[in-house]
Amino acid sequence: MGQTPRVAAVGVGYSTTGRRTGLNSRELAIQAAKAAMADAGMTPKDIDGVAVLWAVSGPAPPGVESVQALDIAQMMGFAPVGWYSDGAGPAYIGTALQAIAAIRAGFCHTCITFRVINQRLSSADLEQGQDETPAAGDSQFTMPFGQLLPLQAIAAMPMQRHMAVYGTTEEQFAHHAVTQRYHASLNEDAIFRDPLTVDDFLAMPYITSPLRILDCDYPVDSGSAVIYTTEERARDFQHKPVFVESAAYSGKGYMAFEIEDMLESAPFHTAKQLWERTDLEPKDVDCAQLYDGFSIITFQWLEALGFCAPGEAGPFIEAGNTRLGGKLPLNTDGGACNVGRRHGTNFCIESVRQIRGQCGARQVPDANTSVWANAVGPFSGAVLMVGD
Amino acid sequence: MDTSVAPPLPVANPLTEFFWEGTRAHKLLILRCQSCGHFVHYPRPVCERCLSEDLAPEEVSGNATLYSYTITMKPWHPFWVDKVPYVLASVELPEQPDLKMLTNIVECEHDALEIGMPVEVTFRQVAAELTLPFFKPVGS
Ligand SMILES: [Zn+2]
Repeated sequence: MGQTPRVAAVGVGYSTTGRRTGLNSRELAIQAAKAAMADAGMTPKDIDGVAVLWAVSGPAPPGVESVQALDIAQMMGFAPVGWYSDGAGPAYIGTALQAIAAIRAGFCHTCITFRVINQRLSSADLEQGQDETPAAGDSQFTMPFGQLLPLQAIAAMPMQRHMAVYGTTEEQFAHHAVTQRYHASLNEDAIFRDPLTVDDFLAMPYITSPLRILDCDYPVDSGSAVIYTTEERARDFQHKPVFVESAAYSGKGYMAFEIEDMLESAPFHTAKQLWERTDLEPKDVDCAQLYDGFSIITFQWLEALGFCAPGEAGPFIEAGNTRLGGKLPLNTDGGACNVGRRHGTNFCIESVRQIRGQCGARQVPDANTSVWANAVGPFSGAVLMVGD
Repeated sequence: MDTSVAPPLPVANPLTEFFWEGTRAHKLLILRCQSCGHFVHYPRPVCERCLSEDLAPEEVSGNATLYSYTITMKPWHPFWVDKVPYVLASVELPEQPDLKMLTNIVECEHDALEIGMPVEVTFRQVAAELTLPFFKPVGS
């Protein structure tokens, strides 16, 4: 038996997504909300909770508008709401789990959750300019040494250590990118759909070794929304509900990827809790949707969740297990590398759509159980979802 | 030393200024619990092991092993325009398990970098008021 009272996802939706769409944060949120409500077959009065994660960290640059939970509640006719939150970051998982907890606690019965991303806030934009921020707080121990972008400490250094300790190869990271691109080729909504080969991948230069651009997700403007509700109401909407079987959220260490354990970080603790809260086991999972902000994060989740032993993600992927038709189809929408950065929301939405059977050419046959996971290092969370 | 462009400068606070005063004097200092001997890095006002708030900087050996590294190819800040590629690294200090710090590895050919290799501290003045503790292969 999973966690009770049960909460279900009943509506999912995306805004227009892409590079420099010209849409501001409010417009991205409005589009995503409308899409999720239409998907559920809901009116605004069905919703009494709002949670949105907008900020990445620090103040917004000039000209970038924020969007807040109460702002959405008023604009979209949800107000008065019984519960709202401006998100537990730094990724969608925190926002989703807050909403699920609020529903379980009875603060609200139906909560719409968002991740709204402005490409201009994304770190890739730093490449065009220069960050004038002085090195305050813990960053005084990182920035003066040239730790300037998250991909150095969060991605490249863990990759290097994984390769040294476990014998993981750059070809195995390439196989992961190739597999995700193949899945994206089957997803009409993906941004990158052209075939990719291992040689194409390996021919690309390092940004910061051993990391290449295709090891990274793709920064875009995007609004993503998911509506959760109680089991009691879950069957009143347009599609069959997809239930949260178990969920976990955990953290350890300071927010300092560069000095934490780079191989067995918070996902391992999250995974332990996730499986303790359900009778299901890794072998019962039909597909997995594991965060790929950087490829090494997906590798770590495969290991943490027990789909392979620690250190075995590379061979597991290279053997074709994560490809559609394989033992564990992984990131079946193509992943954030190919559908654009949504900080985890796409993996929740893909889980819902797989379990509903809506995925067309990329559908996992009879998918009824999907796990999605988000974040790495000091903080992480995961949700196991099942059909009715 | 070209001081026309400085790296992002540390904003020291009462809890961290010992570290930067130490590097200027070519000493690597880490905050240590005076009750139980536990090293606390990054600096915090309390010892995570015994909750004592009696902490003081102590000089460590300056030895370390290479925990991981990345060779950064792009300058994301003007200071590094003439310094790429550079080796950003996390090193583990022998004084305590999991006691790590971020640094650069210098005086080492890139193909000689090896996780687990012994390294030792070497101080470099990079701006008028800033000396950084880098590490180099032992005996280089
Ligand atoms: Zn102590």
